[in-house]
Amino acid sequence: MSEQLLDPRAIRLTEKADDRDDAIRRCGQALVDIGAAEPGYITTMLAREQSISTYVGEQVAIPHGTLAGKDLVKRDALAVLRFPEGVDWDGEPVTVCVAIAARGDGHVELLAALAEVLLDEDQARELREATEPETVIRLLGSIQEETKQ
Amino acid sequence: MPTRTVTVGSASGLHARPAKIFVEAAAKAPVKVTIRSGDRKPVPAKSMLSVLALGARQGTEVILEAEGDGADEILDSLAELLSKDLDADHV
Repeated sequence: MSEQLLDPRAIRLTEKADDRDDAIRRCGQALVDIGAAEPGYITTMLAREQSISTYVGEQVAIPHGTLAGKDLVKRDALAVLRFPEGVDWDGEPVTVCVAIAARGDGHVELLAALAEVLLDEDQARELREATEPETVIRLLGSIQEETKQ
Repeated sequence: MPTRTVTVGSASGLHARPAKIFVEAAAKAPVKVTIRSGDRKPVPAKSMLSVLALGARQGTEVILEAEGDGADEILDSLAELLSKDLDADHV
């Protein structure tokens, strides 16, 4: 994966969403805005979420498309959207969405690295409370390192 | 302790969707189930983050362990789940 996995333009820390689907659309739009996915990818993200929740714990969800949506991914990328007011995610409060666009199966490592960050209570809290893109890059930068090969 | 060694069957590995299906099944089990890969420390099978952190791909061997009443049956059903391609019945 390239060094562009986490594009600063896709780190948006003062987002607001009416509901879960609105949050997913905003996540998808961030991926589209940076040229990582076609607009149709957003529809597959919503479909994935209806099939099974992407909530992973620590107030974090990881919206991403279905397998069918892979063709709509132009390059592997992450988007980090923070919703300071929280979003009701099927009964779970979500503060941070780490949206994923991935073509191959590289996101197994990516998810593993993200999970490692979230398993560390201090790092998980830092991510939830991040107000500066630099903080997000510092916390998730290791993901890029680990998945670069 | 009852143990099962399973090869992950899901095409895209034990990632978001297959992991969620597995974790939800493990959470329903009346006994504590752990999962580990290689020499790493066993982690709770009902913890989504812990299971994701395994980074298990299709073909990765994982080891399930549980103790208590019905442990064998639970391990059998979880092992079967893991060995299936949980991406196959995809939307």
